[in-house]
This record gives sequence, structure tokens and C-alpha cells, in this order.
Amino acid sequence: MLSKLQPQLLWRFSSYIFRRRPSCLESNGVAFAFFRLLLAPPDPRGSLGVSFGIDTSPRRFSTGPVNVQGPTAVDNCSLLQEGEFHRLADNTIHDLQERLEEYGDDIEIDGFDIDYGNDVLTLKLGDLGTYVVNKQTPNRQIWLSSPVSGPSRFDWDWESKRWVYRRTGANLLELLESEIQSLCRQPIQLS
Amino acid sequence: MLRNAAKRVLIPRLSSSATPTALARSYHERVVDHYNNPRNVGSFDKNDPNVGTGLVGAPACGDVMKLQIRVDEESGKIVDACFKTFGCGSAIASSSVATEWVKGKEMEEVLSIKNTEIAKHLSLPPVKLHCSMLAEDAIKAAVKDYEAKRAKQNGSNEAPVDKAVAN
Repeated sequence: MLSKLQPQLLWRFSSYIFRRRPSCLESNGVAFAFFRLLLAPPDPRGSLGVSFGIDTSPRRFSTGPVNVQGPTAVDNCSLLQEGEFHRLADNTIHDLQERLEEYGDDIEIDGFDIDYGNDVLTLKLGDLGTYVVNKQTPNRQIWLSSPVSGPSRFDWDWESKRWVYRRTGANLLELLESEIQSLCRQPIQLS
Repeated sequence: MLRNAAKRVLIPRLSSSATPTALARSYHERVVDHYNNPRNVGSFDKNDPNVGTGLVGAPACGDVMKLQIRVDEESGKIVDACFKTFGCGSAIASSSVATEWVKGKEMEEVLSIKNTEIAKHLSLPPVKLHCSMLAEDAIKAAVKDYEAKRAKQNGSNEAPVDKAVAN
């Protein structure tokens, strides 16, 4: 008798959850919709006789390699766990922020400003341009927007323990050092 | 204590002395134009041998672009292009511009379209430069897909094999 009741109970339980926490639906509506269908009590009319899988992986679409970064397809999620990624990325960005603030105290650039908020580091160099550094967690990348070299996306390389842009092989900190030095005419030590 | 808390919630606080209004950042008029009047929205049949489909991005990142090109077999020119984009106004405008620029060009020529040109055309702010790069990637992916289709077609000139339904 319990086996017959169970689907009913689970169905009602899931309804209860969704009423109480509608955010469940928003966060991954597709997975939860499928989950509910799986739990649905047997329908005598047979209209629910389909099975779906629960898709909990971050959905990616691509006709080619993920991110089209180069000849090899890299599954970033499997290389770096989210917690580890946050630790590495936050350390890098905080370090950057400190060194740029010290640099800003030494040099005199009109309109020099550093702002860090919501995990986004913005460096304004007045008329010379603006840099934006932010984390892109789903890809486990650090994204950089540079007035000199445009946008780039850096992945963590375990071997060299650095953030590397796969397309060009550029290193995040070295790239910033050389660009800022050429813009502000004064060397900066970031790595 | 509850009464104080209720007061704070129910009685709106008067804002203190006028705070200086931040410089309102707005989209460039070209971006707004592309957003309001998008060019070439739609899709082609992806099984058409003359159509190349480039699909880039990830919903988790907030941007997905699908850019399709129809290539004329004889001349190798792109005769038509369309796009569908899920993302911000800058992403939509970037992919819309990309479809406009690839029309009428040779395939090798469109590979030289740079994200910097798209960004300059739309006056994208620094944080939105990534959208223009995604548009460039979409163009490259579409061309690559078309070429892969051609190679496959040329490679197997015998009777077509039934494709297994993947999904």
C-alpha cells in the first residue's frame, strides 16, 4: 500500500515545496519541471508515459568547441571546482587591486580611479582608457576588457599557476604590466 | 521596538541633501537602433547544405548567439544572413551588425571582421566589449560550420547515410 501512496506523497510534497519556494523554479525551472514529471503519479490515461532525464549540468550550446577559444575543446567545469575557482580568482583580483592602488599613489594620472564592487574591478586611467576585470564563474574564467587589446578571457593554468588566454598564450598579469607601462610610462610590478 | 521598526518601514524617509546625480550611462543610439529595429532576425533551415550555423555562448554566462549564413555555391559569397540572440542590448546589436556586415562578402573576407570594429561602430563601453568578441566568434563558427558541411558533402558523394537522431 505504501508503494502506491508514495508517488502521491512525493507529488504533493513537491507541490508544497514549489509553493513555498518559488525561487526553486526560477533557478533551474527546466530541471524541476522534469523532476516533477518524473514524480507524477501514474496517469491512467497514459499521457505522462514519457521519461525525461534530470539535466543539472550548466547548459552550453555550441556547434563547435565550447567557447571557440582554439583548436581544443575544454570543459572548464571539470578542471576547476567552483570553490577553488573563487579562491584563486579572488586572490588574483584582490592582489591586483592592492598593487594598482599603490601604483596610483605613485604616479600622477588625471582621472586615475580604482573601483571594486560586485566582484568587478574597474581601473580608470582618465583619457587613456578604462580596464575592467571580472570573474566569469560558469566558465571558470577571468575576463578582461582593455582599451589597448580589447576583450580577453583567461583560464587558470595549473602548470604555470597563472591565468592564461588560450588564443594568444598571454598571461593576465604580464599583459597588464606591459600595457599599463606603455600607457602610463612607468613600470608596474603585478606578478 | 516593533512599533519603531514598523514606523521605519511605513513612513518613508526623506532623502537628505540632494546627492549629486551620477552621470547617466546610456546605450549609444546605434545600439538602441539595432535593439528597436533589429535587422535580419530569424533562422534558416540548418539542414540546408548552403547554410552555415554558428552557435556560441552559454545561457549561464548570459549570452547566446546563433548566426546563420546562406552561401552561394558558385561564387562562394554570403548572400543572406540571419541571427537570434539571447542576451543584453549590446549583444543583440553586435550580432545584428555582424549579419549586416557579412552580407555580400566572400567567406575569407568575413573572417577578417574584428570585434574591435564592431565595438567601435557601436561605441560599446569597456564592459560590453565581450559582446563584440562573441559576435566575431559567431561569424567564424558559422563559416567553419559551412565549410565542414561542404567537406562532408564532398567526402561522401555516394548514397546518403541515414543520420541517427541524436536527441
